[in-house]
Amino acid sequence: MNVGVANDMSIFTLIAGASLPVQIVMVILLITSLFSWWYIFIKVATIKRAEKDANDFESAFWTGGDLNKLYEGLGVGRRKVQGMASIFEAGFKEYARHKQQPRMEVSDVMEGSLRAMRAAYNRELDDLDAHLPFLASVGSVSPYIGLFGTVWGIMNAFRGLSNVAQATLSQVAPGIAEALVATAIGLFAAIPAVVAYNRFASSVDRLSVRYESFMEEFTNILQRKS
Amino acid sequence: MLRQREKTVSFQAGALSIAVHAVLFIALLISFDWKATHPVSIAEVELWDSLPSPSVPKVQPKPTPAPEPIVKNEPKPEPVPVVKEQPKADVKVDIALEKKLKALEKEKAEEKLKEEKLKEEKLKKEKELEQKKKLAEMQAALLKDDLRANEKALKEKKANQQNDALKRLQQQALADDKAEGDQQASSAKAAANAGIIDEYQSKISRKIRSNVNKTLCGTGNPELKFDIGLLITGQLSDRPKLIKSSGSTACDDAVYRAIMASEPLPLPKDASLFSQFRNLKLTFRPNEGN
Repeated sequence: MNVGVANDMSIFTLIAGASLPVQIVMVILLITSLFSWWYIFIKVATIKRAEKDANDFESAFWTGGDLNKLYEGLGVGRRKVQGMASIFEAGFKEYARHKQQPRMEVSDVMEGSLRAMRAAYNRELDDLDAHLPFLASVGSVSPYIGLFGTVWGIMNAFRGLSNVAQATLSQVAPGIAEALVATAIGLFAAIPAVVAYNRFASSVDRLSVRYESFMEEFTNILQRKS
Repeated sequence: MLRQREKTVSFQAGALSIAVHAVLFIALLISFDWKATHPVSIAEVELWDSLPSPSVPKVQPKPTPAPEPIVKNEPKPEPVPVVKEQPKADVKVDIALEKKLKALEKEKAEEKLKEEKLKEEKLKKEKELEQKKKLAEMQAALLKDDLRANEKALKEKKANQQNDALKRLQQQALADDKAEGDQQASSAKAAANAGIIDEYQSKISRKIRSNVNKTLCGTGNPELKFDIGLLITGQLSDRPKLIKSSGSTACDDAVYRAIMASEPLPLPKDASLFSQFRNLKLTFRPNEGN
């Protein structure tokens, strides 16, 4: 912490010169930040695709074609149906099965298909909600982790200062700068996580509303058919 | 950890995540000036502190010549007159003494004549008036006493006169020498004082200039003249009078304010030089770097 170090205050020397707890905090925060950004990009892609799938399926569904053809087309077109299509698939499959059995009450058929659709809807929502708790945790906790590293580093800097007869700013400054790097990393991890969490939560809410309304409308259509 | 549908985008998302961190790290490296050059500027600030000191040592060499003439010139004249002038005084005094001694001798001779006459009369009268002898003797004794007293008084007078003459001569000689010494000393002093006066005038104008808000004086090189009256404390005795304007009232006002703000102005410690500073005519060129 002499003048020479103060002259050479690159980001690398700041990180390398920090004490071990601060370095551990920095590493934890860096990994957290990497993961949160990874999840952010994954969620951006998956939610965008879920919205696009919902739009495509709704347009295909409301064109008024044959439901059997639509159902067969879903099974052929994709390896595994996702989103609104999977809800339709589950509900129509259950309806078709009940139809094959003789002397079934209409209400029983409708209840069975609604239950199947609700199960598919829950699975879809679970997939859409994935990783959102992680982003929420990063957004709320990582500033505190960074603050912990900063407080620790500043404590060290001032403890070192107490051993020196003539206290100058250049003796404390490197320690504080090192410590503040931890807060910077924590904030850098937290801010995007919070923004992404809020945005994804609202997107998932809107999608779930669309799914529920589709379920109700599809139930009506099935009831009319039977 | 990852859902089935997320596996297709996981690699892309991972790459993007690393890219975001790399971009931030590069921005951090570029936006911050990590080479700390500030300690150098701090060293310059410390140099500024040492700058005023050279102006103080300047004062020291100049006062030193000033005391020298006082020390050297004054002792010299004193021994010289004592040695040279005393003989002259002695000669003159001798002449005066001789005259006075002659006068004394004449008086003594007259007195002796008188005594002889008295003695002759006494001798004559001794026979006639033996009784009066004692009286005559007493008279003679009295006369002698008187004479002695007279002589003493005369001698004292003469001695006093001699002393007075000597003193006067010495004083004259001293006064002459002093005048000569003063002239020499004052010429040496004047040379030293001129340096001090110049130095303090430049100090005063420098102090005022440091207070001038130069931005008010535009880009040209305006010249102003101010008449400043000073008290011995360095305070202004009167408001500074503008003799020559720079053409811009804002600039004139800036210099005026700077003069008012510069109180007390630096003055030499030697109070005899103050007369040079009682009324100062200072010329300012605010934009001329100094």
